[in-house]
Amino acid sequence: MNMKLGGARRLWTVLLVVAVAAVPAARGLWLELPSTGTKCVSEELHNNVVVLGDYYAFVGEDYDANATSTPTITVKVTSPYGNELYHKEKLSHGQFAFSTTESGNYLACFSLDNDLGKKVTVGIDWKIGIAAKDWDSVAKKEKIEGLELELKKLEESVESIHNNLQYLITREADMREVSEMTNARVAWYSSTSLGICIIVAVLQLWYLRRYFQKKKLI
Amino acid sequence: METRGRIIRCGAALLSLLLLSLVSRVSALSVTVNDVECIYEYVLYEGDTVSGNFVVVDHDIFWSSDHPGIDFVVTSPQGSTVHTLKGTSGDKFEFKAPRSGMYKFCFHNPYSTPETVSFYIHIGHIPTEHDLAKDEHLDPINVKIAELREALESVTAEQKYLKARDARHRHTNESTRRRVIFYTVGEYCLLGLVSGLQVAYIRRLFSKSVAYNRV
Repeated sequence: MNMKLGGARRLWTVLLVVAVAAVPAARGLWLELPSTGTKCVSEELHNNVVVLGDYYAFVGEDYDANATSTPTITVKVTSPYGNELYHKEKLSHGQFAFSTTESGNYLACFSLDNDLGKKVTVGIDWKIGIAAKDWDSVAKKEKIEGLELELKKLEESVESIHNNLQYLITREADMREVSEMTNARVAWYSSTSLGICIIVAVLQLWYLRRYFQKKKLI
Repeated sequence: METRGRIIRCGAALLSLLLLSLVSRVSALSVTVNDVECIYEYVLYEGDTVSGNFVVVDHDIFWSSDHPGIDFVVTSPQGSTVHTLKGTSGDKFEFKAPRSGMYKFCFHNPYSTPETVSFYIHIGHIPTEHDLAKDEHLDPINVKIAELREALESVTAEQKYLKARDARHRHTNESTRRRVIFYTVGEYCLLGLVSGLQVAYIRRLFSKSVAYNRV
């Protein structure tokens, strides 16, 4: 019985170590920051979407949690109408969270504060919608765990798929209206163009006839 | 003693489930490609399915032959090319990661005009029988749940692709609408101007000034 206990505890510590080690190195995607200028990532979002972003900057190609020199970056998040949602300078890691109020292109821009001469990589973990939900607090509040939590996550995932599909349908309806309007306009403008051509030609002939008659040439 | 062992085992199962949920990650963003733009993603397990899609968001190209598309190259951590797509304006991709490590997803823009690319990369892990045998706290039900989650993620991926293609289509539609209006108004003005010039020229030819009386 003592051996079984020791084995379970060892397994738990191994899993804990793997979980802790896996999380920061594998978080989000990495982008190379140029020494001058900004690098921006954007996403087109609709209304009422929760956005959660974690960012961390490091030197070189591999993330080293115990690195002594960490580069500092400037982060700016702007809404589609130009409002600044988040602006922080001289940080090497941080987090921003906001809820969208307008639908459009949301931009997150990163730039280096000072050129270190070495390659700087920034890791961005950009989560929207249900991925940004804090499942730990939900689990604690509703007192569910394990399989039930996983199934609840799947249920929310299905609901978000359904909502996205509804959104796509409304977008398609808007686009179809624009297409049909353009189609009608092309027909209308082409026939008007032909009409104008004929009218102008008739006017020209009438005017020139009158002119020559006045000049007694005809 | 017995309850303590059970609690520890329960905790281990919970942690392993948490780890599994951490493993499948999604990243969907748009980035501007000037010449080469590389995105790095970490693959935790060998044999994971890396799937995704990318769409070049349309900018105002005058004639479509101006820009045939961008190239997409996926490099494994050893440096070998795992997947290539050349000259497309958007496509889906899926491959099995030959080994774990940092994978590089690069977009190459062969032309001088910068392009905006909207991409989505998903790395999915399903526990195999090997994992089941190694870890006694992993039920076969975890495999089924992982498979279900991967299926839902693939639906989400298709939706994101559809959304990006819809955005590109909308760009084209808006551009067509603007072109129809501007070109038609320009055409009318030009027509009026040219006919006015014609009339003025003919009048000048027949005017009473000396040298031009004989036509």
